[in-house]
Amino acid sequence: MASGILVVLVSGGADRADAQSTSDWDNETCLACHGQPRSSMVLPSGDTLDIGIDEELWHNSIHADWDLQCILCHTEITAIPHDPLEVETAREYAIEKSGSCVVCHREQAVVDDSVHAQARAEGNDQAAVCSDCHDPHYATDPPMSHTAIPETCRTCHSEIYDRYAESVHGSALVDGNPDVPTCTDCHGVHEIAGPSRGEFHLFSPEICATCHADEELMEKYGINTDVFNTYVADFHGRTITLFQEITPDQDTNAPVCVSCHGVHGIQPADEAGSSVAKENLLATCQQCHPNAEDAFPDAWMSHYAASSNEWPIVYYVRWFYRILIPVVIGGMLIYVATDLVGRVRRRREQVA
Amino acid sequence: MTDETAQRRFARFTWSDRLEHWIQVIAFTGLAITGLIQMWSESPVPRAIISGVGGINTTRFVHRSFSIVVLIAMAYHLGTAGYRFFVERIGKQMLPNSGDVRAAAHSFSYNLGFRRDRALEGKFTFSEKAEYWSIIWGTVLMAVTGLMMWNPIATTKFLPGEIIPAAKAAHGGEAILAVLAILVWHMYFVHIRRFNPSIFTGYLNEEEMSDEHPLQLAAIESGEDTITIPPEVLRRRRRVFFPAYAAIVLLGAAFILVFLTYQEIAITTVVPPDTGVEIYTPYVP
Repeated sequence: MASGILVVLVSGGADRADAQSTSDWDNETCLACHGQPRSSMVLPSGDTLDIGIDEELWHNSIHADWDLQCILCHTEITAIPHDPLEVETAREYAIEKSGSCVVCHREQAVVDDSVHAQARAEGNDQAAVCSDCHDPHYATDPPMSHTAIPETCRTCHSEIYDRYAESVHGSALVDGNPDVPTCTDCHGVHEIAGPSRGEFHLFSPEICATCHADEELMEKYGINTDVFNTYVADFHGRTITLFQEITPDQDTNAPVCVSCHGVHGIQPADEAGSSVAKENLLATCQQCHPNAEDAFPDAWMSHYAASSNEWPIVYYVRWFYRILIPVVIGGMLIYVATDLVGRVRRRREQVA
Repeated sequence: MTDETAQRRFARFTWSDRLEHWIQVIAFTGLAITGLIQMWSESPVPRAIISGVGGINTTRFVHRSFSIVVLIAMAYHLGTAGYRFFVERIGKQMLPNSGDVRAAAHSFSYNLGFRRDRALEGKFTFSEKAEYWSIIWGTVLMAVTGLMMWNPIATTKFLPGEIIPAAKAAHGGEAILAVLAILVWHMYFVHIRRFNPSIFTGYLNEEEMSDEHPLQLAAIESGEDTITIPPEVLRRRRRVFFPAYAAIVLLGAAFILVFLTYQEIAITTVVPPDTGVEIYTPYVP
């Protein structure tokens, strides 16, 4: 991937240098003024735009490492002193500058169906652009650590972050556990899909299964990996699986993992406050089955396979048929076979 | 077959019996297909059929529609069977008795060559009674477990929750049993051993009668088979039977209707996940 970026970079960069009479400006020219970390300017709207660069952080960044020139992105700078910026607000500037990222990072930057791009297309200026998550001057490689991801999303989604930080996943991440999912593990990164879309709902059990059906990973925490299979074997999971296969474009309200377990604030199933704890289960079922009463939650086998201990009625009914079917059908086959043999033998005797 | 035997034919099934059979053929096949593909929906062929039907929701709808047909057929059969039992009083011939056990054992040893004389049977042979009562038992069990799954909310008002997955297990097991029994027992006795046309034509000829129902044939020949009920007796029995039957069917239908629709089974809207959380809430350190 890195080489791909460089190819674009070299050709793109060369065109630009030719088109402008600024080719003899190097980064030191810019840093002579912008190397004052706290410098800023005021935009027509009154917004303050930070224009200082922390030289040390810049030199440690991936873009400096590749020896990228400031003017590669800051193409609006054509003279010293600079012409006034043609933007009113700092936000407007950030959105406009994200156009520069596309030159090298086409694959990541041109994602028109991402939830952020769509929100922006609908006129929501707050929707994230490249620089909201990746500081163009100080980004390192890889651009973000596992733990930095939720912190980044928190910038705009602090309420969701607060729920996540208290969840079984988020609290473990804060403690440095690399096994738990962060925001992007479930939502994706640049092509991030809106979670309210039917398709996200429909395929979300696959996301959970990535880890929860992984025997090796789950063994570390003593978590049952049958959760996915037992879900798929039941009415709800069967519905979801068949919708995935047959009509992925249609909405279904059959529940997925997060419908019962919760989303960002997900708690361990055996924790008292959990939405799937025994005492809370009825309320959870009632979200979709408002008339359900006390006995109803037991209609769901809680991810257990039937055994003589768990769900004995189901277990013994299955055994009853496991014995009854071969006995009855076997008996029928034996009788039918003797009838057939008897007929053939008698016919032979008659002929003889 | 001589010309003489060809001319004689013996009524076996009325048009109403034959209609019931056709309804059973259609509903049983429809239920078996739309049910088994749900049981084995993880396999490619069932999946393709579900897809062809128009998805799982449509498949469930079709399955339940066929089940309504069966419920109506059950109510109708309750009427025809009840009429034969309580009005015509000829129902006893369909009840299993010790003679059937003897006939089964007799036929078995005859087929194995231990006996030289065949078992002689009447209007309903032991194999026919076995099948008839299996269908009665199977239909009742399928209807009960099916209705439990149809409205688990109403079911768990009266019964423990575990009854729902247990009903599912029984419904599936009984389905396999029923389909295999039809394929083995029914297929052999009325198609392979000798094609029995009476359920389509209504009649058997003399050769078929003496082969399959020799005792009935003998009874017909001797005149024992004809029972005449005095008209006033018939009228009196009907006066009791029809209201009782109507009451039972109406009560049953009302119960099922209320059971299925009294309360909402599940909401039809989509619950958004993690409700009550604001999406855009900038972090203020």
